[in-house]
Amino acid sequence: MNTAPITTWEGAEAYFTFADKPVILGLVTLVGIAVCVYTIASMAIHENKAYKNM
Amino acid sequence: MEQSVPELMARLDSLESSLAMATTINSEVFYWWCTALMLAIHAGFLAYEMGASRAKNALASGMKNLIAFAFLIPAFYYVGWWIYLAFPAGLSIADGSEAGLPWSTNMGPNLTDNASGIFYAAFTLFAATTASIMSGSVIERIRISGFTILALVLGAVVWILGASWGWHPDGWLTTEWGLHDVGAAGCVHTVAGFFTLGVLINLGPRIGRFNSDGTVNNIDGHNMPMSLIGLMLIVMGFFGFLGGCIIYTGDMWTTIYNTPTTLSAFAFNTLMGVAGGMIGAYLVTRDPFWMMSGALIGVISSAPALDLYYPGFAFLVSFAGGCIMPKLNDILVGKFKIDDAVGAVAVHGFGGVWGLIASGIFASGYPNIAGPEISFVGQLSSAVVFMILGFAPGYALSYALKVVGLLRVTEGAEIAGLDKAEVPASAYPESSVPAAFTNDPTSPTPAE
Repeated sequence: MNTAPITTWEGAEAYFTFADKPVILGLVTLVGIAVCVYTIASMAIHENKAYKNM
Repeated sequence: MEQSVPELMARLDSLESSLAMATTINSEVFYWWCTALMLAIHAGFLAYEMGASRAKNALASGMKNLIAFAFLIPAFYYVGWWIYLAFPAGLSIADGSEAGLPWSTNMGPNLTDNASGIFYAAFTLFAATTASIMSGSVIERIRISGFTILALVLGAVVWILGASWGWHPDGWLTTEWGLHDVGAAGCVHTVAGFFTLGVLINLGPRIGRFNSDGTVNNIDGHNMPMSLIGLMLIVMGFFGFLGGCIIYTGDMWTTIYNTPTTLSAFAFNTLMGVAGGMIGAYLVTRDPFWMMSGALIGVISSAPALDLYYPGFAFLVSFAGGCIMPKLNDILVGKFKIDDAVGAVAVHGFGGVWGLIASGIFASGYPNIAGPEISFVGQLSSAVVFMILGFAPGYALSYALKVVGLLRVTEGAEIAGLDKAEVPASAYPESSVPAAFTNDPTSPTPAE
């Protein structure tokens, strides 16, 4: 997968992966947020199960 | 050796370019190490809160800190930095704030932007500090999931909105009211302290904290030495925190309001503030825990005018803070039955308010670059804004979490201990330790 936004270092500015594809950056952001939300939900489920055993 | 004018001009251009690059690199290096030092704040909060917990809750208290830290880093990347850039005027969105959106070309490796990443990092550590301020108060009975949600809202939204309003060269509290708060006593400490107060009201006290006749039981943590070392680590980390409050331009140092200052000014008054707070808290409590909390109170008390105070005066302002805040905590616990396990509402919330009021009294008349001069009314009004900005969302969100059952652990889990209930590890697994240092639920507090 070619994720590079540059073909030469001459005059390069933002050079991180997908820097020239804001839609993909937005999607990556959404996936990152989803990971956080999922983990918090998982945390709550773990707590509910744990407290039932007390 | 004779050189032609074009050669000299070329050399001059080269020297200017090298100087500009050196300035940029120096700035990056400065904030890089400020950020690294600020990590000591979180190591400190980790140790101090685990020590302040009973052994049966030690790991759960630590987990809470670690989780908040881990979640706040991406959360601040996704929304926090943009909020800071977007809202200095109040609630309207500023031009240019799109540079802080997570899909901006400024929010990643960029050879033409040496500033965004390093400032994002420093501000993220400030954000994590606000969550850590709350976390000690709520130990031993809050659900980690509920705490994480609260920490995310406080650290990635609420405090940074306050920073945009009052800790920004164009923030409306400064341009309209002349707020001067170089050490972030208001947007960090007051906001976090009053957010915590709102949470504590809905969370309620630990089982056994209060008797039916209203008298108070002390619930001692299991490791006071660990707490004291943690508090000293926080003080160390404050040198990174306060260093990060200064802007490095290459020519000179300025405050975040663009007024000129020096690192020496901050060094004088930070140390004198630490000492004043420690001595004041010792004088009124004789308690080592409060003496080290007094160090934090001292820094916070002098923080708004660290660039302006005569050091001997900063000592006295912080001494007064160190004397007052432990008594305010006694009132919160004894009269209002607020079970703040580490006194964070008094130390940070009211400590920040005292710092702003003191600077309004003793540093009024100094000019600002943008906005009116420092005044008592401006500092006091700004303190009220920070109190409301912290308290209202803290209360509302914790109330909502309480309604859906995500705020507090069950009674059974609280009595058995949160480590046993939900942490797949043991703090002291093989040691032969006294009953009070184990997960043994048969060694409860007096009213259990």
